[in-house]
Amino acid sequence: MAYNGGPMTEAMYYVLLALMRPNHGYQLMHAITDVSNGRLTMGPGTLYGVLSRMQKDGLISLEQDDGRRKTYQITKAGEQALRIEYRRLKALIQDSKMLEEGDENE
Amino acid sequence: MNKKVYKLRPSDYWRIGEHESWFQDLAVQGLHLKKMGIHFAQFVKGEPKNMRYRIDVSIKKKILPEQIQLYKENGWEYVTRFQFFHVFSSPAELNAPELHTDSAEQAYTLKELDKKLAMNAVFIAVAMVAIIGMTFSIWLLDGTPTFVMIDGGMMQQTILTFFIGYLAYTSVQAARSIRALRKDLIEGKPINHHASWKKNYRIHSMFMFLFTFIVGLSAIIPFVQLATMETNTLPEGNIDLPIVRLADVEQNPDLIRGEPTYMSDNVDWGNRYSYDWSPLAPVQYETDETGVVPGVMWKDGSGEYSPSLTTRVFQLRFQSMVDSLVSDLIKRYGFPYSPEDFVERKHSSFDQLIVHEEEGRKDVIASKGKAVFYVQYFGYADLDSVIKNIEEKMEFL
Repeated sequence: MAYNGGPMTEAMYYVLLALMRPNHGYQLMHAITDVSNGRLTMGPGTLYGVLSRMQKDGLISLEQDDGRRKTYQITKAGEQALRIEYRRLKALIQDSKMLEEGDENE
Repeated sequence: MNKKVYKLRPSDYWRIGEHESWFQDLAVQGLHLKKMGIHFAQFVKGEPKNMRYRIDVSIKKKILPEQIQLYKENGWEYVTRFQFFHVFSSPAELNAPELHTDSAEQAYTLKELDKKLAMNAVFIAVAMVAIIGMTFSIWLLDGTPTFVMIDGGMMQQTILTFFIGYLAYTSVQAARSIRALRKDLIEGKPINHHASWKKNYRIHSMFMFLFTFIVGLSAIIPFVQLATMETNTLPEGNIDLPIVRLADVEQNPDLIRGEPTYMSDNVDWGNRYSYDWSPLAPVQYETDETGVVPGVMWKDGSGEYSPSLTTRVFQLRFQSMVDSLVSDLIKRYGFPYSPEDFVERKHSSFDQLIVHEEEGRKDVIASKGKAVFYVQYFGYADLDSVIKNIEEKMEFL
């Protein structure tokens, strides 16, 4: 199933985010941990699944393939999808403002 | 070289969690997974170790080196695969990161397999229906199922049907389980890597043993049949077999054997006896015999008087099958008469004696214990002559 613009899984979102700078598999895992401030550690199985699927869907592409290591980069379509998802998430947060106010009232 | 140990898998190959925990438990005992087949797994004996095992599904049978490399960098070694199920292991103390940290993402890895198994299941279910239909139509074609079963020709077909049925059952199970697992993953329920494998172990292995045994046994049947079945030309003189002879019924010294009308494999099929075996009727004879009395004509003037006799003899395995075999024999050989044209007679030498009599044709079915005789005679000798001969020949069985 090609990516149809719906909500992304967290794994997809962070891989795209981390691939704003081209990277290869193993380092990507650390990059994701970094970019999520240690909140998210992604297993290699999940990462591999996300990478191969998003490559098929044209959201990311191979920048370099020296046989053993493949370096991935985000594509135009991928960046666009990421930005749309970002806006969606931001809207989600804005819509949830009342929760913050609730916190203050406690 | 380290000792290899083979073990029957505790459950069906698609039960991922149960296998992971099984491999783990065996590694603690010093048995380390080496290879997997559909029913067995091969282990190598070594030091007991605390290992973690994970099964990863990939529709590509050959998992990409890139994926293996990525897993390896994270502490997971590739062990082996069975079909689309790839096994990785990691020593427990290494504390390697879990392969899959996102259930919804893992569900995607099952998508292709799910589709494939569903198609498989549909395909084999259709094949099963076709084969069952075929089997039943052959079996019930002329309404004599007991005869067909005892005759032995349908044995293979029937067992094949069971076999296909079993295959269809497992394919449907596989498809359903993988679909359910995928659904669970999508809903965020991860695979239980410590699922108990002991629950199904006994039932599964008993079933596998029984199934293998039956299929193996059935594979032998055609060979036994081939080895035992035999057809020869009937000698004109006496022969020590439990079969009724034309000359004994006719009691006419002028009776001679005519020219063979159909010769094949050096057997005169107009005057032959066949011996056969089947699981339900270990002793079977079938004979055809014809003769001519030169110079004597059939009463209707249709030609030279040429009486003939056909017999079928069965020694059954179970006496309970006698009655239905008798009624099937009437149906099969009684043509053009219907079963109502056959009458039962009392006779001290038989459990059952059923006859049909008319000018020029006698049909007699007699049974005693597990023995069943059928004689169809075309000629002018009387019924009692046929019955007396059956009585004598039944002693041979």
